[in-house]
Amino acid sequence: MAESVRNRRRDGGVSPLGGDVPTAGLNREERFEAEALPHLKALYGTAYRMTRNSHDAEDLVQETFLRAYRAFDGYTSGTNIRAWLHTILYRVRTDAFRRAGRSPQTVEMEGDGPAVPAPQDALASGAEDLVRALDGLPEAFRIAVVLRDVQELTYEEIAGVLGVPIGTVMSRIHRGRALMRAALRGRKP
Amino acid sequence: MSCNPERVTAYVDGALDAAGCPELEAHLAACPECRAQAEEERALRAQLRALPPPSPSPALEARVRRSLRPRRRAASWLLPLAAGLVALLAWARGAAPFVAWELSRDHDHCFGGRRLPAKVWSSDPARVAEWFQGQGTSVPVIPEAAAGLELVGARYCPLFDRRVAHLYYSNGDHHLSLFLVPGPVRDVSREMRPRGNFVRFLRVGGTTVGLVSEEEESVEAFRRALSTTVAWDFDRVDRSAP
Repeated sequence: MAESVRNRRRDGGVSPLGGDVPTAGLNREERFEAEALPHLKALYGTAYRMTRNSHDAEDLVQETFLRAYRAFDGYTSGTNIRAWLHTILYRVRTDAFRRAGRSPQTVEMEGDGPAVPAPQDALASGAEDLVRALDGLPEAFRIAVVLRDVQELTYEEIAGVLGVPIGTVMSRIHRGRALMRAALRGRKP
Repeated sequence: MSCNPERVTAYVDGALDAAGCPELEAHLAACPECRAQAEEERALRAQLRALPPPSPSPALEARVRRSLRPRRRAASWLLPLAAGLVALLAWARGAAPFVAWELSRDHDHCFGGRRLPAKVWSSDPARVAEWFQGQGTSVPVIPEAAAGLELVGARYCPLFDRRVAHLYYSNGDHHLSLFLVPGPVRDVSREMRPRGNFVRFLRVGGTTVGLVSEEEESVEAFRRALSTTVAWDFDRVDRSAP
């Protein structure tokens, strides 16, 4: 199955490639600030969906950028820096889980229990339902859906971020969306 | 082709290879359930994409930038600390107790050895003054001897942050150091006893003179000797003040 799935950027929107930023003549720190820091909000968006609270999300983002800065020499200029940053974000998240003795890979079809309502400012009621459905997903599905539907990463990039085969990415996105659709319809899939 | 919901998801995301697409499209045309799934997933994806992104606090970016610069961050708290130390030292270098302690230490150091480390050996004040003059230090009129202690020699000694002219007076058993201290010295009117020595400061012809000896009488004798010539005793100034 995985073999039949290939990487294709579906949209013609803004390319998240770091190579778009002119960084010639900048030192390492300036280059990092020019290429990586513009993605801070995107990273925070994912971190917020992972942790479901702003405090943990900000800590996660800060740690991610610190690690990314240290590892910046290993980043290949011109490749998708947002995917690269998400790889580090996910690693920071799993490390935090490992320390806490849990794993975000744990997939429970019944979900993580009652979803914590997102304290997001003034969402329309439809959006509120949507966020509740998203937040109610088991984290492994939630991350896959966010990386695909919010961050618009390709399956291949998501596979790289999560360190899983493309077939697993497809399966998690499918199951995540199916659970969300069911939650929005008010019934089990 | 039978229903394969996961492939429908991949198709919606444009992640199915070209070979798989026509087959799936044919299936979608024939299967209302898979078609509904594809439509719902597209709608869901559009809704998710349209969600307003959660905003971090405005301080997060600054926090991240700070964390990337541990050295600069260190400097941001080191700088006031360093400035404080510099201010403290600037204050201390001019404070008489601090200078007195330094002079006393130097007195012990020079007279504590087996041999005086003088650079110029002479009992003639004019000869010693000439030696210092040659190196840029003007020496006021100083006594040749007092209380039985005679001039034997002199040298420059390094203090904490400056060098002072150090003149040695001795009779073999007792010693006195006469220092010419450049720079400001505050609060000089008190008699001080750092490190067990007696220390007095005098203002002699525009120069601050420090007297150091183990004997109070020796210091007092030199103070009188300097005062009766050209010296300008701080005590006298203080007493005459209203």
